[in-house]
Amino acid sequence: MLKLHNLSKYYRTDEVETVALNSVNIEIESGEFVAIMGPSGCGKSTLLNIIGMLDNPSSGEYVFMGEDVAGYSEAKLANIRKQNIGFIFQSFNLIDELTVAENIELALLYHNIPSKIRKERVAHVMDKVGIAHRAKHMPSQLSGGQQQRVAVARAVVGDQAMILADEPTGNLDSAHGQEVMEMLQSLNEEGTTIVMVTHSPSHADYARRTINLFDGHVVTENLRAAQ
Amino acid sequence: MFKNYIMVAVRNLVKNKLYSAINIVGLAVGLAACVMIALFVKDELSYDTQWAKADSLYRLHTTFTLPGRAAIPTVRAPGPVKSQILEYFPEEIAATTRFNSMNPVLRYEGKVVSEQIFWTDPETADLFDFNVVAGDIHKALNDNSSLAVNETFAKRYFGDADPIGKVVTLTNYQIERDYKITAVFEDLPNNTVLDIQALAKIDEADFTGQTWEFGEWYSTNNYLFFELKEGADVGVITSQLNTFINASAPPSGGEGQVTDFMQFSVQALTDIQLYPFGRNGSEMKPTGSMTSVIIFVSIAVLILLIACINFMNLATAKSTQRAREVALRKVLGAKRGQLVTQFLGETVMVAVMGLVLGIVLVEVFLGPFSAFVGKELAFDYGDGLTISVLVGLVLFVGTIGGVYPALVLSGFLPATVLKANKSAETNGSAALRNGLVVVQFAISIGLIIATSAVFGQRWYATSMDPGFNKDNLMIIRNVGRAGAQQNQDAFRREVLRLPGVVSAAYSSDSPASGNESNRNVMREGADPATESVLIGTHSVDYEFFDTYEIELLKGRIYSRDFATDGTPAIPSDAEAQATQGTLIINEAASRRLGFTSVEEAVGSRVRMGRNPASMEIIAVIRDMQYQSLRRVMRPEMYLLNRADFRTLTVKYTGSPAPVASAIEGVWRTMMPDVPFRHDFVDTVMAAEFEQESQQSVLLAVFAGLAIVIACLGLYGLASFTAERRTKEIGIRKVMGATVFDIVRLLIWQFSKPVLLANVIAWPIVVYGLVTWLETFPYRLEAWWLIIFCLSAGTIALSIAWVTVGGNAASVARTNPIKALRYE
Repeated sequence: MLKLHNLSKYYRTDEVETVALNSVNIEIESGEFVAIMGPSGCGKSTLLNIIGMLDNPSSGEYVFMGEDVAGYSEAKLANIRKQNIGFIFQSFNLIDELTVAENIELALLYHNIPSKIRKERVAHVMDKVGIAHRAKHMPSQLSGGQQQRVAVARAVVGDQAMILADEPTGNLDSAHGQEVMEMLQSLNEEGTTIVMVTHSPSHADYARRTINLFDGHVVTENLRAAQ
Repeated sequence: MFKNYIMVAVRNLVKNKLYSAINIVGLAVGLAACVMIALFVKDELSYDTQWAKADSLYRLHTTFTLPGRAAIPTVRAPGPVKSQILEYFPEEIAATTRFNSMNPVLRYEGKVVSEQIFWTDPETADLFDFNVVAGDIHKALNDNSSLAVNETFAKRYFGDADPIGKVVTLTNYQIERDYKITAVFEDLPNNTVLDIQALAKIDEADFTGQTWEFGEWYSTNNYLFFELKEGADVGVITSQLNTFINASAPPSGGEGQVTDFMQFSVQALTDIQLYPFGRNGSEMKPTGSMTSVIIFVSIAVLILLIACINFMNLATAKSTQRAREVALRKVLGAKRGQLVTQFLGETVMVAVMGLVLGIVLVEVFLGPFSAFVGKELAFDYGDGLTISVLVGLVLFVGTIGGVYPALVLSGFLPATVLKANKSAETNGSAALRNGLVVVQFAISIGLIIATSAVFGQRWYATSMDPGFNKDNLMIIRNVGRAGAQQNQDAFRREVLRLPGVVSAAYSSDSPASGNESNRNVMREGADPATESVLIGTHSVDYEFFDTYEIELLKGRIYSRDFATDGTPAIPSDAEAQATQGTLIINEAASRRLGFTSVEEAVGSRVRMGRNPASMEIIAVIRDMQYQSLRRVMRPEMYLLNRADFRTLTVKYTGSPAPVASAIEGVWRTMMPDVPFRHDFVDTVMAAEFEQESQQSVLLAVFAGLAIVIACLGLYGLASFTAERRTKEIGIRKVMGATVFDIVRLLIWQFSKPVLLANVIAWPIVVYGLVTWLETFPYRLEAWWLIIFCLSAGTIALSIAWVTVGGNAASVARTNPIKALRYE
């Protein structure tokens, strides 16, 4: 699905150069469930942002579905992104002014899909994550777990091949965290590639592979046998 | 504590440079516009209050109500009324005086010039306290060979020499006389309706050949002022004016009373400037009007309102970002009152900065503004009233701008603010802001539409087809003066020989002169008492119709081939009943005389007033706006009457300057003692609308200012909104929205209030403008207003888009993770 080769990312200010990622080599196959772990500031989020094409690497190669996208323009990246990648954030990032259904529909709004089909798909995905009864509610009226379910629904409504989740359970209690993890797992079983950043070893256990980052380096990769 | 407030306020101003700049600049521009308009209005309201007797001086006006014609109001009165009204109202009137404007030929040391001089009565020196700088004005006005002149006049002829005792020669009608300068007065200030550079004493014995100037009851050539006795009631005079007229006026020859067709009215001197009575151009100089004062005051208020709205909008928008500061202050023990004081103090501080910048703007722009409106406006810092008004204004603006955010902010519950960890924007303040933006844009759109309509009406009036070709026509004046009149034929012959001259025609008036001259006309055999109608009269030459390219509907124009063409003089004996003549009338006159068609009119015969001659109508011409574009077309006749020629109209080709100087050369050799004066028909006609044109430019400037200030506010608000919506924009971008999608989203957000503003502004403004347009006899058709509305809407929308779009684009281009990382 994607391949990072000697990929680095630096942040420069006038005085210091911070290395966020240092010659990272990662390959992720289609249908994999990968967890990325590591202490704060090790480059997890940077890696995820680069994989999600929200950020550009400073050097190195990024091949996504056979294309080297490292030098692509923003518009081109936006196009690849919206076709293939869904995002789930720790802080949900729902728009306060839109209802649950509208927040989910947002992901389809920029795909030139007719309104009727959009509505059907939103209804379907809301059923799937069990939030249909809250369709007309505002995000502020939902609990954290419900909000994250909306965010998951938004990430998958466009039939994206890959979901990038940045600490999806970080703001949730353990029961709700569990729920979200099970949802991701079942998505993965249906064939969606999932890359997840997490601090929680137990949640990392849902993944088949864990990549450990430290100071911008990949230190270990653990493979788990299928459960 | 206070120091902390100041520090926080200053740091906030510096941190939010954009908002601060918009607030201060917007307010400064608004205040500067207000101050300048206030000075203009103050000046308009001050007219003629400087005279010592200002409160007891009145002017007598005459209105003619002629059958079949709209009333003809004039600001002048007949000459004989001066002494008769004084005798009739001995208890009320203390003194009366007249001013009669004439243009005698003045000769001094080889100069030959026509100068405007007012002939006046000696009482003028008592009624009006001219500031005499040399000589004695009482003496001057009691001597029929003395002149009182102003300083500019004295300087023009005598330079730095002492003008007192200098002698100039005036030729007025047949009288040529030496006048000695015996008084010099300061130039009259700008704020008086009097416009006098020189005064001469009326000696009625000098005008026995021109009784219409001072001796006739039915000629109104004098501005007649009277002084009310102390304690007297002007109402007594007004209520008895009709009795006075009927008792004093000589019989008019018709049936009924004199007051059936002639009435007097009275106006206080101090009201003349703002409540003009007569027709445009009949005052000594153009007056203002209460309408324009009200319009300008409204504009000032609207501009200030827009600036205040900016202030409020930006203050409320910004304040939500300071929720944390407020919450912390509360947690630390600040009382609500203290917070309100703090925030009000901040807005007042910004308002003071706006005031300072505004005064700088006034200093810079007052000069050009004064020159443009033709006034001497000065900003007096020492004036207690001005200062207190300004300080009051700043406190008002600062308080209005600050009171809402102060109350909203101080009302926040600290726990909610601190826990929510986000800007505590309430729905209320957002709705208020949107509402205020709608108000701002409704005002701006209204001003754009009104300005377009004013320009449109002016364009319509000046470009309206007057019924003749006004291009390439030069008017040579003074041809009716003694010394020129006897040379008319020879002069015309010489002019026609000059290169570039196409044709030349004499006539009594030139276009847009506004002269009112009428005669009674009736069809042959009609009853003079009941069937005679009043028709406007011009005297014209054979070449007149060709020179002006006037359309002939039926018949033939005057020709030298017909010996009978022309208007016979009134015969001295009754036997000359058999004389005949011809005349040409316009369509309106044909209808007025009762002809059903122009075919019927041509060949018919009419009689004019006391003249027994039988006149054949030889042609009917198309109606034309010869008298004035500002008046309704009247029934007119064009008589071939050589005795009455006062102007020569020359049709030329090519550049006018060489033609004019060639004609002047001919004039100087043939008539060196008569001043040469020339004009152009198109400029004379345009000058009728000069005041409107000046006011429409002012209106446009202030409307422009209002829009600029509104846009400043919109820009500030848009950038604030974009900032507030950063997270949402980030999410949308992650979802695949392009920069264009984001820009469109933000633009649409600000298009809604602008569209709503259109819906509100259109009906109100259209209603007002339709009412306004109805005051013009010839007006822009109402469908133009639809175009103006649509254009104003488009302009406002485009300006809003440009204002919001640039900002939106830069926000939309930022990397979304920046927005989403720090939540």
